[in-house]
Amino acid sequence: MMDLKFENRDVKLSKSIKKNRELFKDLLGIGVSFDVDYRTINVLDTDVDVYFVTGLNDKSHVNMVLKELLELNEVEHFNRSKRKVHEIVENRIVNYQVEEMDVAYDAVTNILSGLIVIVVDGCTKAFAVDVRSYPDRSPSEPDTEKVVRGSRDGYTENIIINTGLTRRRVRDDNLRYELIRIGERSRTDVVIAYIKDVADPGLVQTVRGNIKDINVDGLAMSEKSLEEFIVEQKFNPFPLVRYTERPDVASAHLFEGHVLIMVDTSPSVIITPTTYFHHVQHAEEFRQSPTVGTFVRWIRFLGIMFSIFLLPMWLLFVMQPELLPKELAFIGPNEEGNIPIFIQIILADIGVEFMRVAAIHTPTAVSTAMGLIAAVLIGEIAIQVGLFGPEIILYVALSAMGTYSTPSYELSVANKITRILLVIATAFFGVKGLVIGFTVYILLLVRTISLNTPYFWPVIPFNARALYHILFRLAVPLHKTRPSIVHPQDDKRR
Amino acid sequence: MAEKERQEESQTSVFLKSLFCGAVGGFIWGSVSSIAYFFSFSNVSHASFTLRSFFSGSWTEGLSGELISLVIVTILGIIPALVYYLFFKKFNGITPGILYGIGLWVVIFIVFNPMFYYVPPFNEMDYDTIVTTVCQFILYGVFVGYTISYEHHERRIVPKNSQKEA
Repeated sequence: MMDLKFENRDVKLSKSIKKNRELFKDLLGIGVSFDVDYRTINVLDTDVDVYFVTGLNDKSHVNMVLKELLELNEVEHFNRSKRKVHEIVENRIVNYQVEEMDVAYDAVTNILSGLIVIVVDGCTKAFAVDVRSYPDRSPSEPDTEKVVRGSRDGYTENIIINTGLTRRRVRDDNLRYELIRIGERSRTDVVIAYIKDVADPGLVQTVRGNIKDINVDGLAMSEKSLEEFIVEQKFNPFPLVRYTERPDVASAHLFEGHVLIMVDTSPSVIITPTTYFHHVQHAEEFRQSPTVGTFVRWIRFLGIMFSIFLLPMWLLFVMQPELLPKELAFIGPNEEGNIPIFIQIILADIGVEFMRVAAIHTPTAVSTAMGLIAAVLIGEIAIQVGLFGPEIILYVALSAMGTYSTPSYELSVANKITRILLVIATAFFGVKGLVIGFTVYILLLVRTISLNTPYFWPVIPFNARALYHILFRLAVPLHKTRPSIVHPQDDKRR
Repeated sequence: MAEKERQEESQTSVFLKSLFCGAVGGFIWGSVSSIAYFFSFSNVSHASFTLRSFFSGSWTEGLSGELISLVIVTILGIIPALVYYLFFKKFNGITPGILYGIGLWVVIFIVFNPMFYYVPPFNEMDYDTIVTTVCQFILYGVFVGYTISYEHHERRIVPKNSQKEA
């Protein structure tokens, strides 16, 4: 009869409650699905239907709403002729979030979101009452962004908690949360957050436009699926947006003029626009004194450079020891081993990669055993058997540690791919391979543009002040202006 | 009136920024050139041009020579930036920068090669040296060119039909 889920979104509710009942039964599959149902109560001799989905709302709250409605029947002095029943009902709903609607599709969306929808006989309007209570965890420190001191709350899977956590840090009346529903079937809530008089309106518009253009069944992998719609990744392995699970990091970026995207069901918040150098900073640096923060950051930079260039450089010096100045002539393996060095490097690197991949889904109980096996096998036996030279293990381990010291997990994996490509280029073309590989690496980064933002800013295009801010972690009072990359409407921080 | 003044002001600031970025570019890629020379990727470094071709003495070799020459290169780096600012600032993207870098290399390594006594003539240079120095010039050209055109277009990426590629 009414199997018009997507086509007929404008079907209005009818005056007759029976027709509405049929409509909802059909749209929601009441009687087929066990968790969607309705309850009919009688208020002032009028039928009132309450639609709900169990599991998404707070039982005691729903019961209270029903009880209040039923108590209407016991009020004696009620003057029925003056007001219509639905007005009385609306006034009696004890909840501060009540919404009226007359389109069946809206009501269905609300029911499926966990609200209860109240339909009164003889009225073409329905009331959606927000009694949601989602299965949920409380904010806890995110695994990937730990700090020694400071706040330990992190975003959760619930977007309402997330917006709340952010607003607790940004009490600005100009903070805007724009809600957009994405996905024909998932109907996921997506929030664009920005400070109205700081963020670049052009950027907000681009983000909003890109999100609204999304036409998809569902965002099952929430924020990651969304990211792939709003930036063009193609074959670029580098992360084009930054994620954070920390409300303090997110609000720091709001103050700078960034635009955040939050997706319901995910604790990761997208920060846009993003450059390469957003991925090499970490909250911990801002929790230490500026000098210590700078020190930590430089060590981190060194680690990141090691993770990319150490292995190809070393391979080059093994292949062409004559390149080494005499001060460094000791570098290079004493014994070559039985396999070409370049194969050894690739094999050992893949071995480390095995461990990383395995560690992600190995249960904790088994992972100790795994670590032991990996360490003994790769570290000891492989050398004794003659598969690897001891120096290989040293350099592969060093560059693996460099990979782990990259704050952004996505960037570290992208750098790993770069490293392997550079090793291969060096193995085949020597100095030329390494130099051209390095140049192409830089040029590709420079060429990348994420949401109209040059990815390798502030190095190329060069911006002295911003580069200074990246090389040195400055004390917060010295942050006098917002970074120009976000095109803030208001340059000055006050 | 005020609009015009502001525009002029922003133009002078773009001009100064261009010169500054030329100097920084000279410094950064000069340092890279020194490192490449240290590891014998290339038989020449900037010091071969600025010092060793004109002076002799042990101070032109090694670290001292590289450091002194780095100062000179930092200052000299302004000139290509000025040229780029005057003639090419309207271009977008990185391709003009790459071409500009290659052009600079041709001018310095081939056209003016006879001026530099210490630099081997083009046909006697080995491939490693050529590749390494060309790459340095390309990166310098992109650094200067992309920065100047980005500043010139008021720090906005000019939308192209193809937005990005990897």
